[in-house]
Amino acid sequence: MGNYSIVAEDLTYWYGDLVAVDHISFHVADGEILGFLGPNGAGKSTAWKMLTGQLKPKGGRATVLGRDIAEDSQKVQGEIGVCFEYTNLYEQMSASENLRLFARLFGVRRFDDEALLRRVGLEGWGKHRVEEFSKGMKQRLMVARSLVNQPKILFLDEPTSGLDPVSAEAIRTVILEERERGATIFLTTHDMMEADKISDRVAFIDQGKIVALDTPHNLKQTYGKRALKAEVAADGGLENIEIPLDMDETPDAVRELFSQKKVITIHSEEATLEDIFIRITGRGLQA
Amino acid sequence: MNWRTMGILVSKDFTLFFRNRFFAVITILGLVAYAAVYFVMPSSVNETLEIGLYAPVVPPALEVMQEAEGGLEIERVESEEALRGGVSGGQYMAGLVFPADIMEKFEQNQRPEIKVYVASDMPDEIREVVNSLITEMAYLQTAQALNIDWQPEILGRDMAGQQIPQRDRIRSLFAIFILVTEIFGLAGLISEEVERRTAWALLVTPMAVRDLFTAKAVLGTIMAFSQAFLLLAVVGGLGEQPLIVVTALLLGAVLVTGVAFLVASLAKGFLSIIAWSVPVLVVLIIPAIGIMMPGAISDWIKAIPSYYLTETIYQVSNFGAGWGDVWRDLLILAGFNVAILSVGVLALRRKFQ
Repeated sequence: MGNYSIVAEDLTYWYGDLVAVDHISFHVADGEILGFLGPNGAGKSTAWKMLTGQLKPKGGRATVLGRDIAEDSQKVQGEIGVCFEYTNLYEQMSASENLRLFARLFGVRRFDDEALLRRVGLEGWGKHRVEEFSKGMKQRLMVARSLVNQPKILFLDEPTSGLDPVSAEAIRTVILEERERGATIFLTTHDMMEADKISDRVAFIDQGKIVALDTPHNLKQTYGKRALKAEVAADGGLENIEIPLDMDETPDAVRELFSQKKVITIHSEEATLEDIFIRITGRGLQA
Repeated sequence: MNWRTMGILVSKDFTLFFRNRFFAVITILGLVAYAAVYFVMPSSVNETLEIGLYAPVVPPALEVMQEAEGGLEIERVESEEALRGGVSGGQYMAGLVFPADIMEKFEQNQRPEIKVYVASDMPDEIREVVNSLITEMAYLQTAQALNIDWQPEILGRDMAGQQIPQRDRIRSLFAIFILVTEIFGLAGLISEEVERRTAWALLVTPMAVRDLFTAKAVLGTIMAFSQAFLLLAVVGGLGEQPLIVVTALLLGAVLVTGVAFLVASLAKGFLSIIAWSVPVLVVLIIPAIGIMMPGAISDWIKAIPSYYLTETIYQVSNFGAGWGDVWRDLLILAGFNVAILSVGVLALRRKFQ
């Protein structure tokens, strides 16, 4: 077993009577991408805030890079990168000024803002004020800002939420590059496609509790059902036929399909993470 | 306390402050306007009692009085109508009309009828002075001069002939104005940091909340102090004891910083800042207005912290007061600062949680 960048033990937080995070425990290995999935209000942002030192846990503890985040948050914050869900850039400053400001706060001596802007597809925009940027450009700049100190862990809160496909893909590429560099990624999202694409493991959080935690593949194996879906000609129209793949009768059913029907289209279908989430929690990720 | 971090934050806030056109323009315009108003105002006080006189015959006693007493200037006019015009137009503080038989009446021990014209806005004091002047002239003319000798003893510096011009009285008011205007600027910066949630981006870097607050306090103090100091230096308000004025301005700058923290903790958005700041601003400038209108405001203004700042600047700039005269005021001001800044920090902290 490798070393763990993040270890949460019985982590708990409540706002008044509402328990937002309810005794959750998990770990994230060095260099791993953990997708933290859940609907709005499930507690993922509260957990994210505790792990980044913005909130002090009211119960349990979390160690980040081997340090207790409640006791040693400033030291931890020097080695992590945090990207917020909402835009919180200095709009009256240029993109480069924003990046340089944070590089100075992190004490980075040799900082190449142009190279970082290039990585997120904002080359040539360094001298422009952020207020001139589109939402996608601002979000890419936010990701760039979280990288100024070459963090050992990157905490990303809904980094592609509401973005155009180009900006979202640019951000996903950067996340994967960071993983290649050796960084650990903690990604909170309610976009199951994104989590499925880039996460090594995903945790489902619902009503403050982790209800499942595994690789996307294992979750699909455990909770999902695989099937063949076919469109066949029938009475001048089309008929949909679904054949489950994990049954003893499956080979016969497939043979029968091709011998007795005119197959127009056929494809295999796996359960999505959203299907699994609904199966486990009884409600969708968008809730 | 991380000084390097504070330096970075202060420099960032200076950049943002001057990129906000409203604050930048109002700051520069304010400085220029206050200085311009100061230099346009008269630099001396007219202590001469200017009186218009329409009199076919002038009693010799009046001429004697005019020669004997400095500060009395009597100008004869051709007609009563011209006299009325001169008083109404502000050329004379008062106008006297002596009857043609004034000397005969005096000689016959009768009461001559003297008309006195005064403008409607003339204060009571001037009316009293004119009445006294006529009475004294009558006594003198009828050889009934008061049988007394008197010798005034001036307590403190004799300001006769060197009254404080309005523009020098107003210097304290300008200094207070400049300082309190910074409440808008600093509260605006803090509020924007909260509203745009940039503060949270800062607080996930290796810096503490106290670094952020200290940087804001330093910025507010520097901004307020430097402008007020610059203005007083330009208009000669540093007096003979510049160190005392500098100390007072520094304490005043800390005071408005504390108030700005409080306003920022209450306000949400720019309009809200204006709404919260204006009442505070009005209260803080009351002591300075009191200096413009001595006697108009009673002792309750001592409950306003800016009273001690205003009084110190006024006393040092205009009367050459020293440390011995103002140390109590400065100490009380420092006490107010500790209280207001502490409450401001506590209130603001709640917003960052």
